[in-house]
Amino acid sequence: MSPRLQFKGISKLFPAVRALHEVSLSVGAGEIHGLLGENGAGKSTLLRVLSGVYRPTAGSILIDGKPVTLANPVAARAAGVAMIHQELQQVPRLSVAQNMFLGHPLTRGGIFVARREQERRAADALAAIDPSIDPAAPLGTLKVAQRQIVEIARALLDRARIVAMDEPTSSLTPSEFERLAQVITGLARDGVAVVYVSHKLDEVFGICRRATIMRDGVVVDSVDLKDLSEKAVVAMMVGRELAREHHNSHATNKVMLSARGLSSATKVRNVSFNLHRGEVLGIAGLVGSGRTELLRLLAGADRATAGTIAIDGKAARFASPRDAIAAGVGLVPEERKREGIVPLRSITCNMALASMAVFAPRGLIDHARLKHVAVEKMSRVNLRPFLLDRPIRLFSGGNQQKAIIGRWLAAGTRILLFDEPTRGIDVGAKAEIYHLIEELAAEGHAVIVVSSELPEVIRLADRVLVMRDGTIAAELHRDDISEQAIAAHAIPQTQTPAAQQARQ
Amino acid sequence: MSDTTLVRPRAEFVRGVSMRDAGTLIGLVVILTVFGALVPGFFAERNLINILQQSSINACLALGMTLVIISGGIDLSVGPTAALSAVISASMMVAGVPFPLAIAAGFAIGLACGLVNGVLVAYVGLQPFIVTLGTLSTYRALALIYTGGNPVLGLPAGFRAIFNGSLFGLPLAVVIVACVAVVAWVVLKKTPFGEYLLAVGGNEEAAYIAGVPIARTKIAAYMISGLLAALAAQILIGRLGAAEPILGNLWELDAIAAAAIGGASLMGGKGSIVGTILGAIILGAMRNGLTLMNVQSFYQLLATGLIILAAMLIDRVTRGRG
Repeated sequence: MSPRLQFKGISKLFPAVRALHEVSLSVGAGEIHGLLGENGAGKSTLLRVLSGVYRPTAGSILIDGKPVTLANPVAARAAGVAMIHQELQQVPRLSVAQNMFLGHPLTRGGIFVARREQERRAADALAAIDPSIDPAAPLGTLKVAQRQIVEIARALLDRARIVAMDEPTSSLTPSEFERLAQVITGLARDGVAVVYVSHKLDEVFGICRRATIMRDGVVVDSVDLKDLSEKAVVAMMVGRELAREHHNSHATNKVMLSARGLSSATKVRNVSFNLHRGEVLGIAGLVGSGRTELLRLLAGADRATAGTIAIDGKAARFASPRDAIAAGVGLVPEERKREGIVPLRSITCNMALASMAVFAPRGLIDHARLKHVAVEKMSRVNLRPFLLDRPIRLFSGGNQQKAIIGRWLAAGTRILLFDEPTRGIDVGAKAEIYHLIEELAAEGHAVIVVSSELPEVIRLADRVLVMRDGTIAAELHRDDISEQAIAAHAIPQTQTPAAQQARQ
Repeated sequence: MSDTTLVRPRAEFVRGVSMRDAGTLIGLVVILTVFGALVPGFFAERNLINILQQSSINACLALGMTLVIISGGIDLSVGPTAALSAVISASMMVAGVPFPLAIAAGFAIGLACGLVNGVLVAYVGLQPFIVTLGTLSTYRALALIYTGGNPVLGLPAGFRAIFNGSLFGLPLAVVIVACVAVVAWVVLKKTPFGEYLLAVGGNEEAAYIAGVPIARTKIAAYMISGLLAALAAQILIGRLGAAEPILGNLWELDAIAAAAIGGASLMGGKGSIVGTILGAIILGAMRNGLTLMNVQSFYQLLATGLIILAAMLIDRVTRGRG
């Protein structure tokens, strides 16, 4: 029997770049196939070819053994390909059902939208995977995980034979991932071929049996995952073996920042802790436990409703990030595109944004000095490509992140707050950012790292605060830090007996 | 992912002149060439100076408009701001107030009008379009109420001489606006405020986290726009010798057009002083040429519309998608 989906010698050339070169791989009906590779390896381009956004320069796509021409997204959909994007392409104000029928609504007499009928069919499709979702509810009221399920239900509605998922879990909690994994496995059981792109190797190992690894637009290999270790797969992805990382501590006893009884209007309740010079303090917890909100309070981006912050023992009141920056605190936000970069401006301008006054002592910007500092800071963070005048939007996520870190270096920031520092960043750049954080600590900066990736917390943190429901549920010192310990404190008490046991 | 590596960084054409500005310049050269071929005497020195003079008021407004648009806003109230500033200055002069003081009062009115816009946008958080649509009516009404709808006539000759004089063979109005343009260019390219404007318009949330003073930056942009509207008003009443409360009708549209032709994006975060000046001259040259050809004003309006659409289409095509 021919495989459900087959790529044969697919190449895609862009004017300046060879994005794909003779890519061949096949996915059987009922298979969940992982697609792995660093950013820029060609995974997204391949998915775009599959979903009809790009026409391949050479090669062919076969579905159930028959060659197909996917000239545009509509044709791809008609051929049974459903694409679930990393950033969901939905309209929040419309209902779940309206979103599921977006672009091809059911009508009465070709004029009026048959709303009831749409909702009935949407409910049918949802019933199979998550009956708790109300088809008439506005999509915006759903959690991200539920929205993802709506997208999958939409694929069911279209009777998709192939479902391609691009980083579906980048904003899901572990339990939400479990739910999604069940849904995906269910899809496969019904004979759908699933192409699953993710940076998170543990997930891929969890739900995929086979995977194809790509690098620089070519297929490195298609492998059986049960024969391989994660380490071997990473080595195939980056083309070299990443050194096993050891944790180094540079923490001192000198308190640089202390928070007492901090509370915010929404999420944070009565949080107290100290942060020391040279220390990397990890903050773990589930999404929604108040970690991001706590960082925003410390960075002056939100106002505290109660509690105090002291920097170097002196009480500090932050009415805006400006005040926090003046006190030496800088935030590297989670959502880089929304809160980090000014996309049209150059690397240099993005770097200098927080310290403009320093570069313009007499009102006019000293461009020579600015350039000098940019060269220094950007070499320090190893920006690639090293084009300081190029708009930041043209850089990869990892390099954008380096520029934001450089922003705080240029501003002389002593307390750095990282919110999910490596989200959406590929394996190679991740290691660089870890090194950078460690170096900053070694130089006497104080660092807070909020992360949902437990290995990241364990790799970086000298000490971990585990947050739950806006409070600090536990403080773990270096020797006590483990995935089990963090999870046990992060998950609300009543949920699992196993967690309760671990806690005792 | 990989498609991000496709777009090459836009090369700086000559130091300080971007490719986009070069495009606007080509547009201007084409229009000048066409009219030069069709209209005898179009290239006469007198006529070229005329074009600059006729463009100067719009250019003055468009400079302020460019800064506001870069900050992610829009200022629809420039015409009525100018009118209010004009009638108050003029009535003070007619009442015998020394004209430097009257001019200063006019500028203060412009700044105040901009301050109101800016505060409503930055602190109250209203949408710029709606705020300035509201103040467009309000300021116009104030000007009409203040004058009872009648023009203020009989401005002193000393005042009129200032704006009708010339320097190095150029009308003083042109020289003033050219100086304003140079200052605006320096502000945008060389000062932290310019960088803040681009950051606030380009990504307000990111600018906030990076410590940019968002509210101050926006308010300053609207105040500059108000001040330049007041300056345009002084130039106009100096030329006319009278101030009408209805002056400046639809000025905002020409100013937005000049900024857009020059490459300002109404999404914010993008715009060029050089481009805006060229855009204003394009509009001025076209009107001048069509008038000399005795084309009906209906067709002049049509040509203005088509130029704006053509500029936007060329923008779209040359920039590709996204």
